[in-house]
Amino acid sequence: MSFSSTALLARKSIRARLGRTIAIALMMTAGVSFVVGSFVLADSLRATFTGLFDELVSEVDLEVRATEAFDGDGSRDPIDATIADDLRGIDGIEIIEPSLTRFAQLLDQDGDIVATTGGPALGFSYIGEGGLQGVTLKDGRAPSGAGEVVVDKASADRVGYSVGDTVGYLTDTGTHSATLVGTIGAADSDGFLGASVVAVDIPTAIEKFGSGGKVDAIDIRLADGADAAVVQAAIENLIPARNEVVTGEVLSAEGQSDVDGFISVFGTGLLIFAFITTFIVAFIINNIFQITIGQRLRELALLRAVGASSKQVRRMIVAEAFVLGLIATGLGILGGIGVSRFIVWAFNQAGAGFPDTSTILEPRTFVAAAAVGIGVTMLSVFVPARRAATIPPVAAMRPELGFDALKKQQLIIGAAVTAVGTLLLVVGLFVQPGAAALWATVAGIGALALFLGVASVSSTIAPPVTRAIGWPIAKLFKVPGVLARDNVVRAPRRTSSSASALMIGVALVSASAVFASSLRATITDVLDNAITADYIVTDPNFFGLSPTVAEGLDTLEELDAVTPVRQASAQVDGETISIGAINPDAFDKLVDPDLQKGAIAGLGLNEVLIHTDPANDLDKQVGDTIDVLWQSGSAGTLTVAGVYGNATFGNWLISLDTLNAVSDAPARDLFIIAKLADGVTAAEGNAAVAAATAEFPQADVQTNAEFRKSQEDQINQLLLTITILLLMSIIIAVLGIAITLALGVFERTREIGLLRAVGMNRRQLRRSVRWEAVIVSSFGAMVGIVLGTFLGVIAALAVPDDIISKLAFNPVIIVVVMVFAVLAGLAASLYPSFKASNMDVLEAIATE
Amino acid sequence: MFGRLFAMTAAMPSPAPASTAPTAAAGAVSASKIYGTGDSQVKALDDVTVAFETGKFTAIMGPSGSGKSTLLHCLAGLDTLTSGATYIGDKYLAKLSDKELTELRRTDVGFVFQAFNLIPTLTAEENIKLPMMLGGETGDAAWIDQVVTAVKLEGRLKHRPSELSGGQQQRVAVARALASQPKIIFADEPTGNLDSETGAEILDFMRRAVREFGQTIVMVTHDPSAASYADRVVFVGDGKIVGELNNPTADQVIDQMKQHGS
Repeated sequence: MSFSSTALLARKSIRARLGRTIAIALMMTAGVSFVVGSFVLADSLRATFTGLFDELVSEVDLEVRATEAFDGDGSRDPIDATIADDLRGIDGIEIIEPSLTRFAQLLDQDGDIVATTGGPALGFSYIGEGGLQGVTLKDGRAPSGAGEVVVDKASADRVGYSVGDTVGYLTDTGTHSATLVGTIGAADSDGFLGASVVAVDIPTAIEKFGSGGKVDAIDIRLADGADAAVVQAAIENLIPARNEVVTGEVLSAEGQSDVDGFISVFGTGLLIFAFITTFIVAFIINNIFQITIGQRLRELALLRAVGASSKQVRRMIVAEAFVLGLIATGLGILGGIGVSRFIVWAFNQAGAGFPDTSTILEPRTFVAAAAVGIGVTMLSVFVPARRAATIPPVAAMRPELGFDALKKQQLIIGAAVTAVGTLLLVVGLFVQPGAAALWATVAGIGALALFLGVASVSSTIAPPVTRAIGWPIAKLFKVPGVLARDNVVRAPRRTSSSASALMIGVALVSASAVFASSLRATITDVLDNAITADYIVTDPNFFGLSPTVAEGLDTLEELDAVTPVRQASAQVDGETISIGAINPDAFDKLVDPDLQKGAIAGLGLNEVLIHTDPANDLDKQVGDTIDVLWQSGSAGTLTVAGVYGNATFGNWLISLDTLNAVSDAPARDLFIIAKLADGVTAAEGNAAVAAATAEFPQADVQTNAEFRKSQEDQINQLLLTITILLLMSIIIAVLGIAITLALGVFERTREIGLLRAVGMNRRQLRRSVRWEAVIVSSFGAMVGIVLGTFLGVIAALAVPDDIISKLAFNPVIIVVVMVFAVLAGLAASLYPSFKASNMDVLEAIATE
Repeated sequence: MFGRLFAMTAAMPSPAPASTAPTAAAGAVSASKIYGTGDSQVKALDDVTVAFETGKFTAIMGPSGSGKSTLLHCLAGLDTLTSGATYIGDKYLAKLSDKELTELRRTDVGFVFQAFNLIPTLTAEENIKLPMMLGGETGDAAWIDQVVTAVKLEGRLKHRPSELSGGQQQRVAVARALASQPKIIFADEPTGNLDSETGAEILDFMRRAVREFGQTIVMVTHDPSAASYADRVVFVGDGKIVGELNNPTADQVIDQMKQHGS
C-alpha cells in the first residue's frame, strides 16, 4: 500500500505548485491539441470525401474502361463509344450509361465566360434521372439532342439563367448554343464543389466535346437477380483488348485510396508540426522538472531520510507527471476538435471549398492523445525522476552533498548524439535507403537526435557565448547588466536547456528560410538564363488547359514561338518516370536546357531528349534506344536524340506527336510558354495574347516578370505558412523561458532580498531579470540560426537539381529572427521581473 | 589494499559487538570518514569507537568541524564510512542494501533535524505519519494520539508547516520521530534554530520520552545547556572521541569543553 503514500505526496505537491502545474499542463495541451487536431481533421475529411465518393459510385455495379499499366500522372485513355451498343445483347443488364467529362465553359447572357468559384469548367454527358453518376436533376428535365442542355443549379442561379433560356458554351470544338431544359447538382447539393457544369446527352457530348467517338467509361447497373460474375465474364468476352470491366467495389476502393492519398499528405503535414510542438514542450517540461528537483533537493532527501525508498521518490515524480499528462490529454482532445474545426474554417475562408464535415473521433485519436499527453510528459521526466531518486538522504542536512548527484558530464554524450544525428540525417536525405517513408523516418530521427545533441552540447558553449552576448549589456547597464550576465553564465545547463526550446523553433524557421531563398535563387536563375519566354500561361487550379488555348496562341503573328508542356507517365526498367511532351521547334527557341549533345529542334516521333542523370544511370548516349511501357499499357521504344544538363523541365522530353501516338487520353496542357516575335512591342504582344485567351478564364497569362513575381510570392507564402505553424512552438518556447526565469527568481529569493537590502532599487532589479532573459533568448536564437542554416543547406542540397540548384541565404530573416529573440526575451521577462521586484525584502532575507 | 580489506573485516565482529556494552542500541567500531583526496583530504572521523545505550539520552558535543555531525550521519545510515563499521541493534549498516537501509530508516530510526524537518506540502498530521505511510502502514493510533497530546499539537494537526511557528515545527518533527516507535532517534541540533525557552520545551520533552517511554535518543549539539538535558555527553574533537560525562550539568559541560580547547 506504499502506492497510496506516493500518490498522496504527488497530489500534495501538485496542489502546492498549482500555478506551475497549470502552466506545464497547458503547454502540453497545446501539443496534444495539435496532434488530435491532425487526426480529427484527417478522419473527418476522409469520412466526408469517402461518403461523397461512395454516393457517386453507389449505383454502379460494373464499369467498362481502358486498362492502365500502372498508376501514373496521365489520365486513363478513353474507350470506343460503340462498345455500349455491343453490351446491349448481354442478359442481366438494366442500365448502360457511357460517360464523358471534358472541358466546357459556360457563357453568360452576353456571351462572356462565367467565372467559377475556384473549380474547373466541366462538360458532362448526362442521361437523366436513370443515370448512374450520382447527379440529381434539380429542375426541368434531362437534355436530349444537340439543341438542349442542362447546367449546374449553383451557376444557373448565379448567372440568372432559368429553364427555357438560350445558353452558350465553349468547348474544344468551338462555341455552341442550346436551350436550357433543366438544372442539376451533385447528390443533395446545388453544385459540383465549385466547378461550373454544362451537361448534354451522350451523342451531343461526343460530338461537341470533340472526343473523337470515344467515352471515358461505360457504367452498368445489373437487373434484379442477375449474377454479377456471369455478366462480368460475358462482358469480358466481348470487349476489345486493353479494355477491362471492373466492379463497383473496385471503383469504390480506388476512390478511397485516392482520397486517402490526398488526406494523408495533408494529415502528415499537420502531424509533423504537431510533433515539433510536442518535442519542444517535452524539452521545457524536462527543464522545469530538472530545476524544481534541484529546488526540492532537501525535501526529497528528507523523504529518503524518514524512510522513503529511492523507488518511491522516483514514483512520486513520475506520478506528478502522469497527472499533468492526464489533464493535458483531456484538454488536448477538446482543443484538438477546436483546432480541426478552425483549420477547415480557415481553408474555406481561403476558398478551398471543403464540404461540411462532421467531427470524427476514432479510437486511435484517443490513443494518440494519451500517448502524447501522458507518454511524452512521463518520458520528459524520466531523467529528472531518475536523478531525484539518486539524491542521498544526507542531503537533507547537507544540500551541497546532494548537488553532486544532480551533476553529470554530458559533453561527450552530447557530441556523440550530434554526430549520430547528423549521420542519420545525411544518410536519410542523400542515400535515401528503401521507401520514402523509411528514409524520411531515418532523416527525421536524425534531425531529432541532432537537436538533442546540440541542446546538450550547447551547455558547454553557453558560458563563453553568453559572456560575449552579455558584455555590451554589462557595460551599458552597469550592476544590473553585470548581474544579468553572471546569472546566465553561472548556470550554463539551465541557460542551454531553456534556450534550446527556442533554438529548435528558430532553427526550423532559419532552415525554411535557407530552403526558400535557395528555391527562389534557383527560379530566378532559370528565368534569367534558361528560359527566354516572354509569356507563361498556367492554370492555377492545376486542372490543365485545353489544347485550344495553345493552338489559339500559336496562330498569333505577334508571337514567334509557342509550346505547351504536357505531362505523361511511362515505366523504364519497372520504374515510373514523368515525361514532358513539347513542341520541339518552339521549345528550342524558348528554353536553353544546357544541351550537351544532339539537337532539340526536329525532335521526331519516338525520339527522346534526356537529362544527364538518367543518361548516366541507364548508360545511354545519343543514338541509343530505350524501351518504355506507356501508362495505357502499350510498349514502345524511344531513341535518344539529345542529352541536356538543366532539369527545370524534368528529366525526359518527347514531342507532342510522340505522346499523341501512344495516348488517347484527353489532352490537358500543364502550362504554355511563348515568346514575342522580333519587332513586336510588349504592349502589342500583351494585347494580342489577352485577346487570344479571353475565352479561357482558367488560363492565367503572366509575363516573364509577373511569373517571377508570382513564384516569389508563392515561396514567401510557403515560408509564411511554415512560420505560422511554427509560431505555436515558438510561443511555447518563450513561455518556457518565462517559467525557467520565474523559477530562477524564486530560487534566488534570498539573494534578491540581499541585493534589495544593500540598496538595489526595484527598477534595477527588474532590469537585471529582463536582460537575463534577453541574453538567454539571444543565445537560443544564435544557436538556432547556426543549426537551422546548416539544416537548410543540407535540405537544399538533398533536393533534386530541377527544384533547387543554387544555395542562397537571406540576411534579412536572420536580423528579423534576432530582433524577435530580443523581443521574446523581453516578453518572457515580464512576469518574473515583476515577481522579483515585488518581493518583500525582509521576508526574502529570512527565507531558508 | 588487501591489508585494508582485512582490517575492515576484522573490525566487524559478529554477531553482536562483544567489545561494547550488551545494552547498546547503536554504535561505531573503528569508524573513519575521509572527505576529498590528496592535499584537500579531510579526516572527519578518525578511528572512532563508541556505543550508545538503550533507553538513554546521549548528547554528542564538539565545536564546528569536529566531526560530530558526520558521526551522527554515519550512525544513522545517512552517510557511509571510509572504513570501520556502524551498527543499529544487531545490524551492521555497511552490510545492508539500499533497500534494507531504507527499511531500517523507516522502522528502526527516527530523525529530528535542525531545520527543514517537514515536507512543506503535507499537513502536520501527514508529516507525523509519513514514515508509516511510506511503509504502507497506519501506525498505532492510540500511541500517536498520546504523542500528539504530549507535544501539545492537538489543534494544529491540519496546518501546513508554513502555518506553524519554528517551535511548533520542531515539535511536529519530534512527534514524527516518536510516532513509529523506533529503536533509536537521532537528533541533529534540534534546538539550534529556536529561542532558549522554546528549545528548553523541546529538550524537556525529549528527556521525558526517554524517561517515561524508554526511548533511546542520540543528539548532536554545541549548546552546553542543551547537552545538560542528556544522561551522558560524549565529546568529539578533530574526528576523535576526546571525553565523556555522565549526568552532566551545563557548567560541567562548559568546563569540559574548555578543557578540549573550544
